[in-house]
Amino acid sequence: MFVELVQQMLNGLAIGSVYTLIALGLTVVFGILGIAHFAHGSVAMSGGYLTFLFTERLGLSFFPAMALAMLAGAILGLLIERLAYRPVRDAPHINAFIIALGLTMMIEGINLIAFGADQVVIQTPYRGVFNVGGVVVAELRLQVILTTGVLIGVIAYLISRTKTGKSIRAVAQNRPAAVLMGVNVNQVSAVVFSVSSALGVAAGALVGALLAIAPGVGEGLAVKGFAVLILGGLGSIPGAIVGGLVLGISESLAAGFISSAYKDVIAFLVMIFVLLFRPEGLLGKR
Amino acid sequence: MTTRSFRLLGIGVLIVAALCLPLLVTVPYFLQLTILALIWIVLAQGQNLIQGITGYVSIAQAGFMGVGAYCSTLLSVKLGWSVWLTLGVAPIFTALFAVLVGYPSLRVKGHYFAIVTLAYNMVIYIVLLTFTALTGGEAGIGGVPRPADIAFGGIVLSFGGRTGYYYLVLAAAAFATLLCALILRSRVGRILVAIRQNETLAEAMGVSAWRYKLFAFVVSASLAGLAGALYAHFIGFLNPDPFGVDQSLNAILAVILGGSGTLTGPIVGAFAVVFLPEYLRVAETYRLVMYGLVLVVATIFMPRGLVPLTSQAGQRLRALIGNQR
Repeated sequence: MFVELVQQMLNGLAIGSVYTLIALGLTVVFGILGIAHFAHGSVAMSGGYLTFLFTERLGLSFFPAMALAMLAGAILGLLIERLAYRPVRDAPHINAFIIALGLTMMIEGINLIAFGADQVVIQTPYRGVFNVGGVVVAELRLQVILTTGVLIGVIAYLISRTKTGKSIRAVAQNRPAAVLMGVNVNQVSAVVFSVSSALGVAAGALVGALLAIAPGVGEGLAVKGFAVLILGGLGSIPGAIVGGLVLGISESLAAGFISSAYKDVIAFLVMIFVLLFRPEGLLGKR
Repeated sequence: MTTRSFRLLGIGVLIVAALCLPLLVTVPYFLQLTILALIWIVLAQGQNLIQGITGYVSIAQAGFMGVGAYCSTLLSVKLGWSVWLTLGVAPIFTALFAVLVGYPSLRVKGHYFAIVTLAYNMVIYIVLLTFTALTGGEAGIGGVPRPADIAFGGIVLSFGGRTGYYYLVLAAAAFATLLCALILRSRVGRILVAIRQNETLAEAMGVSAWRYKLFAFVVSASLAGLAGALYAHFIGFLNPDPFGVDQSLNAILAVILGGSGTLTGPIVGAFAVVFLPEYLRVAETYRLVMYGLVLVVATIFMPRGLVPLTSQAGQRLRALIGNQR
């Protein structure tokens, strides 16, 4: 029983770190630009497919392929920001959200045309399995958790230590004031979108290695990402981390002990339950 | 001619045209699409109430449609209830369901409300798909009955064929539109618009916003439930496919394309989302991309929708003609 519990929590930690990565990209865009970038999950899936393509066709190993896909993702993020979101920057937020829904359809459609409807699993060399006191630890899961940790570290450094990070924070706090102080808002939103999309692509590649990618998975990921945001608190980076792990672990425990068919239902119930008692999220401020 | 009498004339022509339509249309396929579009009006009016008038984008409309569809179908198929009764019960059941789920979701605003309702839609879809003992899962439920004939004096109204069902859904669409018109013109409607424009201000004026938001949410859900029930009894076969998130997005698209916050917008939008994909069928592979592109471009260039755009153009034209005189 105890071993099973630890096992499920460990599995939850791996999938939870993917959710964290997705939520991190979403939370940066939302916290700074106030856009609920729903197409993020589909961007992540494009990245997963690209990573798959790079490993299969170019023969790259997993991490270089992922890095290359992240670069492509950053460019895609730039394009999305410039062509779709910037024209509605001063319109009501609802418009940006509807644009996000349209983008989701477009990117899902493009994924379908470009990569087909078949399920794809990215092969990695990390097939090792350790057995620690009855708990099975897969090397791949450890790699996923580690990668997430590194990426979170990079983002934290970027935002808290660099000059660009400072202007990003300034825009998040008070946009008009930041503009008056000479911060280039266009540049900030471009940077934010490219970083966020690169993070999403990383998450998509990890999902592709850990589970599988197929049409429709992206929308599910975006919803999970937002669930994490709501769980953790809006626009909060520590909230995204805590929320991601809580969602991943509760989902995994639900799959292990209740029913795997209903694991998503239970994950969403956790979110709704948290909303009932803490509408501002676990780490959000009132 | 004054604007008012002009409008009344327009409505009159529309009603006569709607009543005569099955006599004029001889292509069954076209009538089939029209019936679907009328069912979509019921759905879109509900979506407009919460999205266009109250300003809260709900992405659960297809889920609620599913709740209504399965409620009505299960009661009529498994328990043998009269379809007329289940068509009445389905919206009420959906409304009760919406009260339960609306309360927690209305504690958050804006995008977060949208995401929570999206989660509802996913939960409903998964349950419909997985709870096979009740719903039959992907294989679905066949033989969903049409409503029984009504003998009215010497006249028998039959709903088994397309023509009879057309009048039924026409009545439902008119009912939904009238209901929304009544709400919009009432005190409640004005409060809903106030919430959309500035919720904080409305609350400061002493409006208990959550009650009105819940009201709008529940009414929109029950209209979706009605649409679902009408859909199930029309198609005659039910599985979870039509109740996924993409269908909820279509409902949003209908409202945006038509003109959110207007009463005629959802009607135009409903016809657009039913007929447009049929004409885009030529480009089947690119349909999703085109659809998304339409949504993005429409939001950027005509954020208020087709109806306000055309009425604006009409006004300009009239002003132009007036000047020349």
